[in-house]
Amino acid sequence: MAAGSEVASCRVDGGAARWRFPSRWAIHAATGVSSFAVAGLVSRYADRLELPPSPPPAVELNPPLGWVDWAREIAERTADNNTVIRFLARRAVVIRRDGWRQVTSPPLVRLESRNMGSTALLAVWGHPRLGDWIRALSEPLPTRGWGPSPGLQTPVIFTDGTAGALLHELVGHLVEGDLIANGRSPLAGLGGANLTEAAIDLTDDPGRTDLPGAFDCDDEGISAKAVTLMRGGRLCGLLCDRETAEVCGVAPGRGRRADWRHPPVPRLSNLVIPAGSAAPGAMEADLSHGIVVTRLSGATVDPVSSRTVLRVERGFEIRNGRRRRPLAPLELTGGVTEILAAIDPAVGDDPSPDWRLGWCVKDGLPLPTGSEAPTLMVRRLEVL
Amino acid sequence: MPSHSRPDDLPAQLSRAIEACGGQLATGKTKRWEVFAKSSLTRETELIDGRLRRTVQIEESGIGVRIWDGARAGFAAISGLDGSAARSAVAAARAGAAPGPDPLPPHRLLGLTAIPPGPRMPPRGWAQHVTGELAIALASMSNGRLRLGRAVVQEGHYAWRLCTVDDWSAQHHRTVASMLVEVLVSERPGIWREWVHIADPESFAAEAVAARIGNRVLLTRHRIATDQGLHDLILHPEVSSQLLAAISPLFLACPDDRDPLPRLLGPDGLLSAYALTLVDDRSDPTAPVVSPCDGEGLPARRILLLEEGAPRHRIASFADARRFDETPRGGAVRLSYRDRPSSGPANLRVLTDDGMAAGELLSASERALYLLRPLAPVAADLRNDTYSLIASGVWLDRQRVRGWHPVVELSGSLGTLLRRIDAVGTDLCWFQTAQGFVGASSLLVRRQPVVG
Repeated sequence: MAAGSEVASCRVDGGAARWRFPSRWAIHAATGVSSFAVAGLVSRYADRLELPPSPPPAVELNPPLGWVDWAREIAERTADNNTVIRFLARRAVVIRRDGWRQVTSPPLVRLESRNMGSTALLAVWGHPRLGDWIRALSEPLPTRGWGPSPGLQTPVIFTDGTAGALLHELVGHLVEGDLIANGRSPLAGLGGANLTEAAIDLTDDPGRTDLPGAFDCDDEGISAKAVTLMRGGRLCGLLCDRETAEVCGVAPGRGRRADWRHPPVPRLSNLVIPAGSAAPGAMEADLSHGIVVTRLSGATVDPVSSRTVLRVERGFEIRNGRRRRPLAPLELTGGVTEILAAIDPAVGDDPSPDWRLGWCVKDGLPLPTGSEAPTLMVRRLEVL
Repeated sequence: MPSHSRPDDLPAQLSRAIEACGGQLATGKTKRWEVFAKSSLTRETELIDGRLRRTVQIEESGIGVRIWDGARAGFAAISGLDGSAARSAVAAARAGAAPGPDPLPPHRLLGLTAIPPGPRMPPRGWAQHVTGELAIALASMSNGRLRLGRAVVQEGHYAWRLCTVDDWSAQHHRTVASMLVEVLVSERPGIWREWVHIADPESFAAEAVAARIGNRVLLTRHRIATDQGLHDLILHPEVSSQLLAAISPLFLACPDDRDPLPRLLGPDGLLSAYALTLVDDRSDPTAPVVSPCDGEGLPARRILLLEEGAPRHRIASFADARRFDETPRGGAVRLSYRDRPSSGPANLRVLTDDGMAAGELLSASERALYLLRPLAPVAADLRNDTYSLIASGVWLDRQRVRGWHPVVELSGSLGTLLRRIDAVGTDLCWFQTAQGFVGASSLLVRRQPVVG
């Protein structure tokens, strides 16, 4: 056992009742999920309200047998006193007038360490590639990397699934219904417009149970369905909860809660881009000079300037079609619509899940999300 | 189910939960234990364009139990305060116990610091009232250029009780308030977001908050201008808070062979210039986290972390203090019953007693880049003495704004940056960061490389 390893368990349950009035919503949330607790919540605004008769289904939240031993083995392998390994399980039930709906999402494993920089791992428990990802997470950063000159405008190839994180920021967040309804998204009003020259199909798919953002029913009781956000590079879909779906005139199905204490808001699930036909090796070989990104450690979009900043943790310089020096950590920036317009038509044939940025934070509230994307190239990004 | 309709009931509810846990713990082999019970009520009011959009009321309670049976230690947390929650928490702590030393501080170290009573929970309707006042103040100070779009006002009350096997106990209750505002700027798309800590709801000054937000937002209306090279920097408190959050791990106790602090010290043994003094203080009644003791019962005190640039003490929980040969000073943080006490700052803050007024600071340089807001957390590699700070700022020439620089990066030696801090401002504000609450003021940094 790793020296100083500790095991902690935390089980939190609660319920929330949401009431709609002509001009506002009211939500009451409280600890406890017993019938007494639920009745207490419901009675806040309704003297007599009959709940649908079906009982809540039994749920299993305990980690599988052997979980602690597995975690200890991983902690030993990482040889790191600061590793935290979490097993995260969640079950929810949505009660509406028309019945009970159980919300099921896959159990997740999260691994983070102070000694591994800002990168953490979030993956579905039992994923066949989990072992490979943990090994990759433990690999040390290059001691001496190449840092391109600030201000350099360069082609950038996003490989090993990092294009999923790129489009999560550039499209996924910006088509969430609340941002669109309030006109706060740079993509508001661009429905039907060609955003990229590349014929990319981009889908938000909660049915991909191998990715962390999966669920069978959203937190408002709507069955999970994939939503096509871009077809052939054209913006064609939005991600809405019940409230913003009415404003935007689309179907709801992405009302997600960070936990029982918080109201559902539009959030993405798993962004998926299908394989193209280009060989990633050929995409790199065609480049006389540029950068290939193999791991991103973070990405943000500034709501004031609509510029995005991508934090590159690992990658390589490409010169004359070959990978040369490893990169020192660096940042890339560009305007949202400009970056989308600069995505090259060649789409890689290597869709790969991204396990590094799964914990998506919006308004300070984290939720698991996932992505799977092939290699993509942005013809011009600026090095900060 | 606990009811918050009568907050006077809370101490009794918490006591009953702790007694129930104590009864369970008395039946097994547990030698030492500690039970923490907490209950909180939060009211959240969201207004869009002055209209009430959503109200959220959250009532949460739960228990955290730490045990040591002479050879194994365990922790478990569970929601609820009733008998079944107590049984489940104790059973889970025992089931998950792993071999290890006693993590609980000895009775002789426990104690309480007198804390001034906190503010009262504001009356219903207060959120709408202050939001309306703020909207008027923002429009007035900006001649109509700024409009308050969305505001989310949080008001909350919490109470907790901590009890140990030795019959030592502590309890505390407090009211907290904060506000998230989104401001729209005419002539420019995009929104400006700002979080405001409200130390006392009764003395909320809408004009002062409007000035704090508006003066900064209006600077982004200037035409875009970029520059690079060696320049003086003025960091707005929000940017400073991200820098301080990034270096906060330097002040946590750790083993000598993993301690990055020595590598960052200058030849004179200083981490920063004389201007910077940092403390962690949970006894400060104006800070977001106020408590008579730390997360495991050691008396609250001001821990001096950096004194005029010289490192002084480290923050450590009792277990970490013992592991790393530090004096236990009460550095365990426990923000919720869900969290096990761990080493961390509660309210990391800059001491501004010798600071300059913000206006004086802005005029202290002929030409400077005034960093207005961070665009990402500051990335600090403490082992290799490097940092990267991405922010949005304005260029100042003789205190006049030359232009807005929407995205600018600063990077280089972290130690050099800290040692070039020439002055701190008196404009202390509190911010939420990934490392907890940070109270920061403006910082003037001389001659730093700006990379465009």
